[in-house]
Amino acid sequence: MSQGLAGYVIRRLLWTVPVIFLISVFVFLLLRLAPQDPIDSLLGQRYDDEIADRLRAKYGYDRPLHIQYLKYVQNLFQGDLGVSTKHGDFSVAEVVIPKIRVSAGMNIMAMILIFGLGVPVGVYAALVRGSFLDPLVIGFWLLVDAVPVFITAVVAPWLFALQLGWVDLTYEGVLHPNIILPVFVMALPGVAGVARLMRASVIQVSSEDYVRTARAKGLRERTVVTSHVVRNALLPMVTVVGLSLPGLFTGTLFVELLFGIPGIGREALQAVLGFDFDVVLGLVLFGSILFVLANILIDIAYGFIDPRIRITAARSV
Amino acid sequence: MTSMATPLETGDFAWRPTPRFRFLRELVHKKIAMIAIFFLALFYLAGIFAPWVSTDDPNYQRLTIEDRLAAPSGDHWFGTDGAGRDLFSRVVYSARTTLLFTLVVILTGSLFLGLGLGLLAGYRGGWIDAGIMRVGEVLSGVPTLLLMLAISAAFRTRLNDVGFWLQENTFLGDDARAIVPFLIIVGAALPFAWIGSARIVRSQVFAIREQEYVLAAETIGVSTTRLLLRHVFPGVLPIFLVGVSAGMAGIAGSEIALSYLGLGVDPSTPSFGTLLQNAGGVRTFQEFPHMLLVSGVPLILFFFSWNLLGDALVDIVEPRTYRR
Repeated sequence: MSQGLAGYVIRRLLWTVPVIFLISVFVFLLLRLAPQDPIDSLLGQRYDDEIADRLRAKYGYDRPLHIQYLKYVQNLFQGDLGVSTKHGDFSVAEVVIPKIRVSAGMNIMAMILIFGLGVPVGVYAALVRGSFLDPLVIGFWLLVDAVPVFITAVVAPWLFALQLGWVDLTYEGVLHPNIILPVFVMALPGVAGVARLMRASVIQVSSEDYVRTARAKGLRERTVVTSHVVRNALLPMVTVVGLSLPGLFTGTLFVELLFGIPGIGREALQAVLGFDFDVVLGLVLFGSILFVLANILIDIAYGFIDPRIRITAARSV
Repeated sequence: MTSMATPLETGDFAWRPTPRFRFLRELVHKKIAMIAIFFLALFYLAGIFAPWVSTDDPNYQRLTIEDRLAAPSGDHWFGTDGAGRDLFSRVVYSARTTLLFTLVVILTGSLFLGLGLGLLAGYRGGWIDAGIMRVGEVLSGVPTLLLMLAISAAFRTRLNDVGFWLQENTFLGDDARAIVPFLIIVGAALPFAWIGSARIVRSQVFAIREQEYVLAAETIGVSTTRLLLRHVFPGVLPIFLVGVSAGMAGIAGSEIALSYLGLGVDPSTPSFGTLLQNAGGVRTFQEFPHMLLVSGVPLILFFFSWNLLGDALVDIVEPRTYRR
């Protein structure tokens, strides 16, 4: 197995090289061919041709495109993502990493909340299948899922902070209790998806032979559900967890905007609006690499959890 | 999905509903799905007939104190916004923007690109398949909203001049200025709109390709195009529709998100994104709750209906896990 697995992972990783290359060229061209550049938005009203030219020369924006790109790639391989023109020449890593930490912290809490709610809801809906409770429960969470974040992120603070006075709205860091409300707002739309998948999975597992065997040998219903049905039904959740991993670091723009949280989503928006070339490119590449890695991780995880699924090098990537 | 045994094999020549009829019949039997369809029809019809449904010009401003930020009344059913514009008319025209945007993206992205590339990849296989799927993998890997924002921001200023030119030199007139940003966000959504449906179609084609009736058609020398459209496409259709309906809310949502951030439709075009942006934050909601509610509630019902419909459709296509 290990040989096949290693070969498989290597093949996947090799595929990512041209993929990441294509993305980087596309985003690079998209930004450089725009009629604006960081210098325009940096100088704004105080735009002056001479200063602008000097700044462009400083950042190398006056050179031919392919030279700029090669320079970028060369720096990239030395672990240098470039500088943020918006943030007074701080390196991209210096600007981005503290903000990614904030977003990741919130996302991890939101994810725990999503699964903590979604899995029991899904199991419950599957167990009461056939009664009116099943569509009612799932329907309720589908309704919650239908509320756009930029509505919840206004109504929830109004209710819990202004009307009830339970929480304060100021941002005091990821570990301060004030973070509960934004995390809650972030988590709400995700519950329905997990609950639906869990429900389908429980129903599917319930008709397996080993569940019938467990019942036939006289196990209590409770034991059958907890240790035979639910445990196996959790398997497809690995994909959901895995696929939501890259999202952990890309931040949630609207929650960050409306709660005034200095996360990576807001930084990304500002970078796009200010044509902060290196920050945008860095974030896109970072997100793409995470996505590819998460997919590989899912496949490997399946191999460990369910040994029946063998990954071989022959499997098409 | 259905048993593929032909009447010749089973000796059963009685008329049976074809899969397509069965699909519709089961849909009609689901009450929740019908309610969802009813509301969606209402929403889209309001959008189509916006000029007749609306009670006022959505962009007409009344700048007197009593006309601005007015609560719902007989004159203005949904109240007015900060510029004294009638919110009912703006909501109706926003439904039109949503309709237009999803329609264009679905037709070009999901239908033309997605179905076309999916059929091609599944039927031809080999390196064509590998190429199409790799590109899809690339695109589904990038952070979508970030890239859509970048595309929109990059083209926005450049194509403004194109808008002015169209306004001066074509019959489009004032509409030209609104069309250009609209096309930009369609362009920003397209690269991501085809992937899901192409994947669904491809995997279905893999299954159908080996069916006897397709082999038979191949044997008697039916051309590839005809084979795909006449024999493979109808078999793929139900699952394809489920995929499209699952994507509808997401496509509508991407326009709303971009417009909310000011990188979507032209400010003169009413959109749920700009309406909700205008509805402001917590303090504005405290003072003028009608602004958020009148645009938010129809939008929530719209997304909810698509969620319910999607759930019902999965029910029908995958009865094993879903039959209640």
